[in-house]
Amino acid sequence: MKETVLETYGLTKYYGGTLALDHMDLKIPRGCICGFVGRNAAGKTTAIKLMLGLLKPTDGSAKLLGCDSQNLTPAIRQRIGYVTEGHRLFRWMSIANLEKFQRAFFPKQWDDSFFAEMIEYFELPKNKKIKHLSNGQRAQVSLALALAPNPELLVMDDPTLGLDAAIRRQFLEGMIQLIMQQGRTVFFSSHILGDVERVSDRIVVIDKGVIRADCSLEQFREAVKKVKLSFSDCPPARLDIEGLLYCRRSEKELELILIGTDDEKIKQWADSAAAIKYSIVKMNLEDQFIEFTAPPNHKKLFQWEKN
Amino acid sequence: MALWIQILPGLDKPIYAQIVAQISENVAKGELSPGDKLPAVRKLAAELVINPNTVARAYNVLEQAGLVTTKTGSGTFISDPKLRTTDAADINMLAERMDTIITRGINLGLKSGDLVVMFKKRLEKFANRQKSGKKKK
Repeated sequence: MKETVLETYGLTKYYGGTLALDHMDLKIPRGCICGFVGRNAAGKTTAIKLMLGLLKPTDGSAKLLGCDSQNLTPAIRQRIGYVTEGHRLFRWMSIANLEKFQRAFFPKQWDDSFFAEMIEYFELPKNKKIKHLSNGQRAQVSLALALAPNPELLVMDDPTLGLDAAIRRQFLEGMIQLIMQQGRTVFFSSHILGDVERVSDRIVVIDKGVIRADCSLEQFREAVKKVKLSFSDCPPARLDIEGLLYCRRSEKELELILIGTDDEKIKQWADSAAAIKYSIVKMNLEDQFIEFTAPPNHKKLFQWEKN
Repeated sequence: MALWIQILPGLDKPIYAQIVAQISENVAKGELSPGDKLPAVRKLAAELVINPNTVARAYNVLEQAGLVTTKTGSGTFISDPKLRTTDAADINMLAERMDTIITRGINLGLKSGDLVVMFKKRLEKFANRQKSGKKKK
């Protein structure tokens, strides 16, 4: 078993009476890029803030690089990079001043020339104040600040939100460059599943504050399946198929969302249920995510069918 | 080396499988010959902006299929065709893919004779390309 760099144990957070995160257990091994996906308000930002010790959990705990999140020492913090949602930087500082400020937190490992290279590559005006930069430029500064100390663990909260395709790609390149070094780990949340698929080898899916998947991306891709079946008469009432997440019924058809059921078993079940036709629907990561996090009795919004 | 791989996230085909398919196609067309070296895992990962483990996984699948061999320390090479094993499951999958083409053909109103002629023509074209691909070396 690989060493874990990020762990949570029953991590729970209430805001007043609202449950934002419900007993989250996570184990992220060293050396991976982990995509953290979930719908809006699923609890991603809360989870990230709890992991970094920026919020107090109602219950449970988290560990970063083996150290409790609520008691992170400066020495541990120096090994962690964090990019906030919306790239919140001190607006009154110039890029040069911000670098000086940030460097002070990472006295041993700040890479001046790497930072300078990135600022030059992004064609950013070093002496301009943050408040006079565009959103995209601010994101680029934030990326440079996060990578310059060469962090062992980089945590990013929806870093590419609202960015154009070119800047998004720069973030992906940054992650790949970092991970090429021995023992680096990246944990990032995103709504852009094409990006997640591109760079991640691990995926964590959260829905309504509950962790629904924590596995390799490949496992997730292979496991989530959608099967359509049609029947000459009413579909069977009892669906005793292994791995059933939920089903949608219509008069003579069934749509099953299955987890980890192999194709041979699906075929056997379709035969035994006397389906006249069945097919395993091809899905990309986005389709899989939507089906996986769909509510159990989910109906399509724009679907006016007679029942 | 004339190895161009194009990655499209968002397809139903996983990224590692896209790499496997494209390298296999390059080998079949003779654009990659036995002994040719594949780019290093990290180099290809950086170039395509994808996770290095995804590239490693693709190379692994290719190795299991016998299409490439990895020599520790020196890299991954296209293997000698004589050493490749053919898997019954692979052949089965190929047969199933032919079914899709046959269905399309019949839906277009073609007869089986037409399809056979078409298939032969494509084979000839492929063989010609294979020859010219090898000549370039």
